[in-house]
Amino acid sequence: MIKKLSIYTLLSGLLCFGCTKVDNILYSTIDSDKFIPTKDDVNSLVGPAYATLRDLEMGWDAMYDLEEICADELVIPARPNGWVDGGVYKTMHLHTFNSLQPHIETVWADCYTGITNCNRVLFQIESGKIPVTDGKDAILAELRALRALYYYELCDNFGNVPLVTSYEVKVGELPKQNTRKEVYDFISSELHSTMPLLSPVVDKSTYGKMNRYAAWTLLAKLYLNAEVYTGTPQWDSCRIACDSVINSNKYILEANQEDVFKTDNENSQEIIFAIPFDEKYATGFNLVEKTLQPISQHTYNLQASPWGGICAIPQFINTFDSNDNRLKTNWIQGPQYDANSGQQLGCEYPPLSTAGHKLEFINSLPGIDSSQEIDGFRLGKYEFRMNALFDLSNDCPFFRYADVLMMKAEALLRTGQADDAAAIVTQVRQRSFKANPIKATVTGAALIAGSGYKYGVAVNDKIAAPEGGADIKYGRFLDELGWEFAMEGRRRTDMIRFGVFTKKSWLSHRPNGDFRTLFPIPQDELDKNNNLKQNPGY
Amino acid sequence: MKKLLCLLVPAIVGLLIVKDSLGSPPLPPIHIQGTVRDFQNGQPLQGVTVRGKFSTATTATDANGKFTLEIPDNETTLVISMIGYTPQEMTIARRTSFTIEMKPTASNLNEVVVVGYGTQKKADLTSAVASVKAGDFVKGNVIDAGQLIQGKVAGVTVNVPSGDPTGNSVIMLRGITTLASGSQPLILIDGIPGNLNTVAPEDIESVDVLKDGSAAAIYGTRGTNGVILITTKRASGLAEPVIDYSGSLSTQQIVKKLDLLNAADYKRLAAAGSNRIDYGHSTDWLKEVTRTPFTQIHNISLRGGTSKTNYVADVNYRGLQGIFLNSDNKTFTGHLQINHSMFDGKLKAMADIVSSENKYYTTGDGTGFSTLTYRQAVIRNPTDQVKDTAGNWQERSIYVYQNPVTMLRESHGENDATNTRYSGSLLFEPISGLRFKGLASTTRYYQTRGYTETKKNISNTRDGRNGYASYGAATAIDNLIELTAEYNKRFGDHALTLLGGFSYQDNTHSNSWMQNWDFPTDVFGWDNIGAGNALKEGLAVEHTDRAHSNLVGFFGRLNYNYQEKYLLQASIRHEGSSKFGANHKFGNFPAVSAGWRLSKEEFMKGQTLFNDLKIRAGYGITGTAPSDEYAALPQLAYGGYTLQNGVWVPDLSPNQNPNPDLKWEKKTEVNIGLDFALLNNRISGTFDYYNRKTHDMLYQYSVPTPPYLYPTITANVGVMQNKGWEVMLNFVPVTSKDFQWNASIYGSHNDNRLVTLSNSLYQTTVDYFDVGYTGEPIQTSTHRVQIGKPIGNFYGYKVVDITNDGKWVYATNDGKTTLDKDANNKQILGNGIPKYYAGFNNSFRYKNLSLSVTMRGAFKFQNLNFQRMYYENPTITQYNSLRSAYNKVFGKTQLNDVLEYTSNYIENGDYWKIDNITLGYNFNMHNNKIIKVLRVYASTLNTATITKYKGLDPEVMIQDPTQPLAYGDDGRDKYPTTRTYTIGVNLTF
Repeated sequence: MIKKLSIYTLLSGLLCFGCTKVDNILYSTIDSDKFIPTKDDVNSLVGPAYATLRDLEMGWDAMYDLEEICADELVIPARPNGWVDGGVYKTMHLHTFNSLQPHIETVWADCYTGITNCNRVLFQIESGKIPVTDGKDAILAELRALRALYYYELCDNFGNVPLVTSYEVKVGELPKQNTRKEVYDFISSELHSTMPLLSPVVDKSTYGKMNRYAAWTLLAKLYLNAEVYTGTPQWDSCRIACDSVINSNKYILEANQEDVFKTDNENSQEIIFAIPFDEKYATGFNLVEKTLQPISQHTYNLQASPWGGICAIPQFINTFDSNDNRLKTNWIQGPQYDANSGQQLGCEYPPLSTAGHKLEFINSLPGIDSSQEIDGFRLGKYEFRMNALFDLSNDCPFFRYADVLMMKAEALLRTGQADDAAAIVTQVRQRSFKANPIKATVTGAALIAGSGYKYGVAVNDKIAAPEGGADIKYGRFLDELGWEFAMEGRRRTDMIRFGVFTKKSWLSHRPNGDFRTLFPIPQDELDKNNNLKQNPGY
Repeated sequence: MKKLLCLLVPAIVGLLIVKDSLGSPPLPPIHIQGTVRDFQNGQPLQGVTVRGKFSTATTATDANGKFTLEIPDNETTLVISMIGYTPQEMTIARRTSFTIEMKPTASNLNEVVVVGYGTQKKADLTSAVASVKAGDFVKGNVIDAGQLIQGKVAGVTVNVPSGDPTGNSVIMLRGITTLASGSQPLILIDGIPGNLNTVAPEDIESVDVLKDGSAAAIYGTRGTNGVILITTKRASGLAEPVIDYSGSLSTQQIVKKLDLLNAADYKRLAAAGSNRIDYGHSTDWLKEVTRTPFTQIHNISLRGGTSKTNYVADVNYRGLQGIFLNSDNKTFTGHLQINHSMFDGKLKAMADIVSSENKYYTTGDGTGFSTLTYRQAVIRNPTDQVKDTAGNWQERSIYVYQNPVTMLRESHGENDATNTRYSGSLLFEPISGLRFKGLASTTRYYQTRGYTETKKNISNTRDGRNGYASYGAATAIDNLIELTAEYNKRFGDHALTLLGGFSYQDNTHSNSWMQNWDFPTDVFGWDNIGAGNALKEGLAVEHTDRAHSNLVGFFGRLNYNYQEKYLLQASIRHEGSSKFGANHKFGNFPAVSAGWRLSKEEFMKGQTLFNDLKIRAGYGITGTAPSDEYAALPQLAYGGYTLQNGVWVPDLSPNQNPNPDLKWEKKTEVNIGLDFALLNNRISGTFDYYNRKTHDMLYQYSVPTPPYLYPTITANVGVMQNKGWEVMLNFVPVTSKDFQWNASIYGSHNDNRLVTLSNSLYQTTVDYFDVGYTGEPIQTSTHRVQIGKPIGNFYGYKVVDITNDGKWVYATNDGKTTLDKDANNKQILGNGIPKYYAGFNNSFRYKNLSLSVTMRGAFKFQNLNFQRMYYENPTITQYNSLRSAYNKVFGKTQLNDVLEYTSNYIENGDYWKIDNITLGYNFNMHNNKIIKVLRVYASTLNTATITKYKGLDPEVMIQDPTQPLAYGDDGRDKYPTTRTYTIGVNLTF
């Protein structure tokens, strides 16, 4: 009996030892601790640092909307099919946004995801964990310049943010906040120190990458807004940075402005820095859904039903010269047709549908709180391909040559060289007034004059208390920026630089405090890092 | 520690054996025989154990209630026992033939209750364990094993969230203990982990629930939400084979429909100048998508064999139909168990196979019945037509607006699943009282999902997909090895049971799917998926993934009692999981509990009031593991692409913030209980008080970015507390030969509080987070989880009035009113978790006629009525509305404001349900040679609801996995709950 038992004891003991280990076995992901990258993996490891730009610029409630719907060109009004969404678009329009605004959270989070990815890859390359043999300095410089781009967006939107440049941080150690001036100085110094190492090549190998000209353009933008960021203007530095791009002779203005925004725009010689999108590989560019009506699906034979939201503010559309080709090509307007039958589409939402009204986009909008499906010109600058999928393949021309020219023009204008500025502006305008070339020409005196924008609160398209734009210094130049760069996710920055953003009224918006030139730091971030102090006014 | 334990347990048990002596000298046997019947109805009783009191002779009655037994010459007494009946002793006194009548027990003290790794007499329990036997199950068309005990156990909330035949019941025990891991308890079927569908409800003998920490701690990291032990029907060594058949037919109806505008209303409103479009037709859209369903359930079980080799086989078919077209669920389950006993019962072997084949139609891609169909039937214009004059489906270009009939007719899907569990065990009992048991099982689940949309589906007529198909598969493999040693010994007044064991479990699951569209024909569906063009164009997506985890546990338990008066139980489990971080792979889960049976004390001897009185107290620690296999690990994953030199290169980056300190949630629980029976067992009951506290709660904790790459990390933070009581009272108001009335009442109360959300590493500066989602277009959160407050708080704008032009007037937090929506004025608007649950169950028997009625209710809670929130607004005219949309709000005027989440849609949900009513009749089959038992019954489920709630059903899903922590959200797309009518028959041959 004892013998039998001891055998059993032994057996059960053995069985126990067989399976007493708790093991992680991974099948569909890679265990970082066991991963040894080779040089074939370098591109895959560097890629994520860029990929975040797509979310940042065109993601849901991200930077494109942040920069546009708080400004005087675009608005997301309540629509028959929704777009109230707890008031998040209305607060942007009215400047009543607070630290819980989702757009603000998204932009902060995406910028720092990009920065942390840059820091991570920089750390991995510097420490040799990612094996880079050739061109190590160039890759490091490129990542630092890219990081500077993310910091530029933080500087522009939040100002006082933590500068984090290393990846290895102790758990529980929280980043310290820097001033806007410190962030500005950091971007400037990073771009200057990396500039010589950045690639001067302009071809597909640097397309969508921080090459030397992308860095100059970023530096020009930084200097253009230096007075806003630091209190000290840097117009000459801006002009010099612009000239570094212009004098390279690597870029031209496209003969037709709309070609910069077409579906296959990756060969455009006007694009300096693009955020490449693709309907299959790099999705997320869905402006077509955001602006068109559901029934517009039939106009483009789209493979998804649009949502009907963002549109132009009529007061802005009214500033266009009727001969300006950009008014026609950049905005979807007028009767809308079925691509197959050629018939004009009908309205689908009461009361227009009950009245048998046909679909046409008109330059009219009652206000932020209500609209019909026909109200407001729709965003047509980016080509909407016939038979488009849910996502578009147009690359986002984040920096383009026209922008560099106009930055130089502004720097000249503001340093007393209005006529030189006018010559450049005329150069940019010419392609949009081909039928009426005389109208392309603009004078220095005109640029110094005020804006043609009829500011003031508009109720059912009527302005009870006109504010006008004549009092805006260089207002005409601001109008020029609006006409050329509308729908490119930048209007807020321009309006701030011209002192209009917190001073004027448009549609349902009234001024609501000068402190709103900076966005509040997201509540979520304040809650997580008690080193952060909220921006003044919030 | 673990190695030591696994050596020690067998060794100690081994030593104990040596001290024991063996056997007694054999005597010439005496042959006796007899019949056992039920005292009340005279029916023969099958499976009654008949044994000699002082010898090892034992047998069981056959289907005719007959037994034969050989007993030693010196045996004096027969002991006759069976679950649910009062055991009897009969003096043999040289008789060889017996007719025995057994009385059903009013008291269930001698009932055997299944506990972790064994059984216990109810009288010996020291922890909170509830047991429901087959006779007390909910009868009729139950959805799964969970519904069998709905309304039967205090403190256990069983919720059948919808009328969807593919749905499952949801079980919540003693409140919300966790933020991240759900409330579903561990479910063991004959000791092997499974789910509520592993075996057919008809194959279940009993369901036992380990409620408190001291009972569940033996299951370590899986025990926090309690343990449901399902025991299937067993073979018991019968002389004659038995065939049982049970069958039922059911139909259902929607209990309550939304009171929507109909075509006549539309015409009237259109004529009155409203924005409603009159298309000139009249369609009852709900009628177009629903039917009168027909459900059938058949079960055949065979039992037979000898005391040495016996078997039980169960074959079950459940053909469930839902009220919506294309909504069904068919399951065929087979269960075969063979038992073998050798060497005078010293070695017992068991082999068992359970396998089920499940199939149901889907109208969503890979999912099940698409509830969007229901929404579309609700919101569709009743003056519109199903098909246009050309015979095409009538579609419109309004946002999220589709013809529901098209959705059902032009899409088709089938989910097929096989779940097979093989298990075997060896039980070696070298000497009386010492048992070694080895149990091994492997469970394999394999599911395929096919789905297709024709060219007439809106995916083509609107979106140009030109036919769509997808095909997917899921697999899961669960392996289990458990080795236990148990030793029972009495030393005079001392009784001791020692248990030691080892458990190993692993799980590997995988999922895959492929899709394609742009097909030349609708003929193939998913059966020739390569025929589509989308894959070739690089548009369609393919996917596979696979994950693995394992769990290793060592456990021991000691049960001791002195004169069955002082009871003690202590246990410990040492358990590790691959899901934990590198710094915490193993944890300890101890428990101790004690009981004092006052009724056994000398000073209680004289009294006649109490038949039993016991107080119990227990303390135990249980755990919850993270649900994600790899939450602790630093991982790299491919996702997204970046354009590099004209080529789209896949990105490789970390996919989460790793946490090497990740470990289990730790729940401590104190339970104090009282069990009593009085007035000759006519009244009995239990009372339990508990206080459970979850520490190190798993949570997606927000971390700053930078330095973290991602804004959240899975970490152990926070403490949650649940305190409450449960009371269960059983009455036998009348008991006589012809008439019997049993009643039970239960009630429970739970008080939940989130104590903190921080630990030493992660400190929150904000004391709340918002959960729940209204969906679009309202797009806001519905609940706030806040420190110091209970889970389930609705948080939003309180409206107190309406302006003359129909705009909401909001209350401010300082008691004033305002027309502006300011987030600072949001406040707590109610709570979605009932504070009190109660039930009242009755069963009556008059001669052969029986009637049982179960009633249950929940009190002190609110629901957010999504239907009213979305459909009770007269400004929304592109979709259909409730008639009440045109009622005056606050008695003043019609609403003229945007859709919004406000207190106006939060209603008290208190309800009392008359749930299951069953009327049965047992035919007298004494003289029938073929049929031994014949019972017919008719039953209803979800019979009637008493409530003031305006929604369809105040009993909303207690745990919606897609909306964690949003308790009380009564979603607008919920598959409506139904009332079920069933007729059934039970036959024994």
